[in-house]
Amino acid sequence: MAVKDIAEAVVVMDRVKVVELVKTEIAAGTEIDEILNAGLIDAMDIVGQKFSDGSLFVPEMLMAAKAMKAGLEELKPHLSAGAAVSRGTVIIGTVKGDLHDIGKNLVALMMEGAGMDVVDLGVDIDAEKFVKAAIEHNAGVVALSALLTTTMPTMETIVAAIKEAGIAVKTIIGGAPVTAAFADQIGADGFSADAPGAVELTRKLLAA
Amino acid sequence: MNRAITNFDQKILDSIHKYSLELLSDTGIRFPSEKALGIFREHDFRTDGEMVFFQEKDIQTALDTVPSVFTIKARNPEKDIRIGGDSYMMAPGYGPPFIIEPSGEKRNALLDDVHKFCKLVQTSKYLDFNSSIVVQPTEVPQETAHLDILLATLLMTDKPIMGSSSSEIAARDSLKLAEMVWDNTDEPVMISLVDSLSPLQYAAEMVDSLMVFAKAGQPLIVHSSCSLGSTGPITIAGSLVISNATTLAGICLAQLINPGTPIVYGLGGSPTEMKTGGYVNASPEDAKHTAIVTALGRYYNIPCRSQGALTESFCLDYQAGMESAMMLTTAALSGANLSLHACGTYGSMLGMSYEKFIADEDLCGAVKKLMQPVEFTDDAFAMDMIKELGTSGNYLMEMHTLKRCRSEFFIPDLNIRTIHNKWLEMEPRDNVERAANILVKRFAEYEKPEIDPDIEKRLVQYVNQRKGM
Ligand code: B12
Repeated sequence: MAVKDIAEAVVVMDRVKVVELVKTEIAAGTEIDEILNAGLIDAMDIVGQKFSDGSLFVPEMLMAAKAMKAGLEELKPHLSAGAAVSRGTVIIGTVKGDLHDIGKNLVALMMEGAGMDVVDLGVDIDAEKFVKAAIEHNAGVVALSALLTTTMPTMETIVAAIKEAGIAVKTIIGGAPVTAAFADQIGADGFSADAPGAVELTRKLLAA
Repeated sequence: MNRAITNFDQKILDSIHKYSLELLSDTGIRFPSEKALGIFREHDFRTDGEMVFFQEKDIQTALDTVPSVFTIKARNPEKDIRIGGDSYMMAPGYGPPFIIEPSGEKRNALLDDVHKFCKLVQTSKYLDFNSSIVVQPTEVPQETAHLDILLATLLMTDKPIMGSSSSEIAARDSLKLAEMVWDNTDEPVMISLVDSLSPLQYAAEMVDSLMVFAKAGQPLIVHSSCSLGSTGPITIAGSLVISNATTLAGICLAQLINPGTPIVYGLGGSPTEMKTGGYVNASPEDAKHTAIVTALGRYYNIPCRSQGALTESFCLDYQAGMESAMMLTTAALSGANLSLHACGTYGSMLGMSYEKFIADEDLCGAVKKLMQPVEFTDDAFAMDMIKELGTSGNYLMEMHTLKRCRSEFFIPDLNIRTIHNKWLEMEPRDNVERAANILVKRFAEYEKPEIDPDIEKRLVQYVNQRKGM
């Protein structure tokens, strides 16, 4: 019995076991921070790595994240007030006129898995809604997804509206036809071509 | 025989239909369009908010009015295309915003690329009609890009066109331009693609353009697709039911608006790449899916669409060839009536390539040859000649051979059929470079098809006016 068993249970997606082990560790008086870091957060780093090298498949990665979250729920009441469990808040959505959401959903799920609070606005979202949500949730990053060249110009409008609103939030963009050059051109703070990259990028921006 | 693509008998098709009806009546299909909801209510369909519920008789009534065969007029009557029955019509890539260069680099597609691909379509021996987005030109204003493409396909080719379904306005523009070209637009003069949103819903703008085209009696490809494992179940069976129910609902709406509207039935089912969540088109699963969908098309007696020569590769390699061939061959042999993406598409439909276009043309030609029934006429049996020549025959010397020597076999343009020595000496030997040489010839031989200068003027004027020029 050790905290690393929790991490192992997360990696093998055993939600029931994660909850059980977290409860046991709490009862045994193990440091809450240790359970959180060495048990849950480390586990997600392993999961993330296994996913990146292709040895873990998407549904497995998502199940592992779910197991991790279940453990986290057990831990929450014991965390000292104000302890930062979340790595920050991200607002994500597919831009106005665009209904493609498979990639956006994947990015959102992986961000959640990496311990970020994610507010998913859905599809067909205009500038006003992004700005409003960013303010309301005191977000660190706004993530825009677009799969159509006809809706890419809307990304520019939204990035501009966010800047105009004067809120301290970073913008990142993605979606199959989007390029790094386009991100530069419209003044977004970042671009990634895939979901793991999006998580990495967001992590950096939230830490900055 | 119980090969994977032939193991669906009537009973399996019946159960797909039955489960689809169950979804249609119990779960319903979402139509977020007031106009569409109004039509359903008018016809006493049960609705709940944006959800519409269908009964078996509604679907049957709709299916009864869909024609099993129809003809789309081309600007040049010799190039009209018949959709349905034994025919199989091909169009080039649809939608890619990028061009993949032979170096592997990708660049944004431009209007100039649209024009070049129009030249290739016009000079193609195998492509039967235009795509409405052969590539997406990225440098022009996106709200009016459809007009630039429509104008190009109408002026630079005389093969049938696709209408633009990207919005209600785009649909109306397509009809307006067609009215300037054809005296009678009560008959089909274009075909347009309407995609549903999986699972079990339509996007408002798609419904609106469906309604515009149906009202005008212009043919529609009503297509629903699931990404297996992400927007639908990971299993082909489950995804088929979702897509079938959604497509049937769309067909029903078109028939309510205008009974007899020509329809091409289509369902897609592409695996989700489980290592990344990405979208995989070219796969044995997608090909298998195609085989079942074409059987369903026949079950409903509606012409059927399938995907074309798709690949996940980004260069003219073994993978591109094998995947494209697997996809197109399965479509052809299982009885598809129409394919988009028959030429030029790379990696998941995101990039077009000139060189692959040329390579795919050989594939299209080979596939068209493959699906033609073998001739069993007296002249083909050639019994008299066989008896006369007996064991001493040199058939190369015969009139029978001479008469058929240019038409009997498929003759590739890019693929080689030579001996090793010749191949070694070939200049250039590389297939990409050889494709480039063919491209030079094709662009040189292209001639703009004739058009009444008044019609041309009006088309250009309309487009310029709409673009605010
Ligand atoms: C599935 C699909 C659909 C489905 C969407 C279902 C859904 N719920 O999302 C349906 C069938 C409904 C559909 C409809 C249409 N589609 Co579509 N579609 C696709 C397809 C085949 C795959 C997209 C996908 O899901 N990929 C898998 C995911 C995982 O990848 P992804 O989205 O790229 O996301 C990854 C990265 O980009 C990144 N990422 C994504 N978002 C973000 C955000 C941030 C912030 C970051 C950092 C990263 C990031 O991470 C993700 C994970 O790695 C693409 C082709 C393609 N290969 O991309 C065409 C494609 C995008 N569609 C296209 C078209 C034309 C349409 C339609 C207009 C077709 C029509 N005439 O009906 C409609 C438009 C509907 C609308 N208004 O949005 C074209 C676009 C062409 C263009 N010039 O822009 C494409 C390229 C296909 C084609 N060649 O025609 N489509």
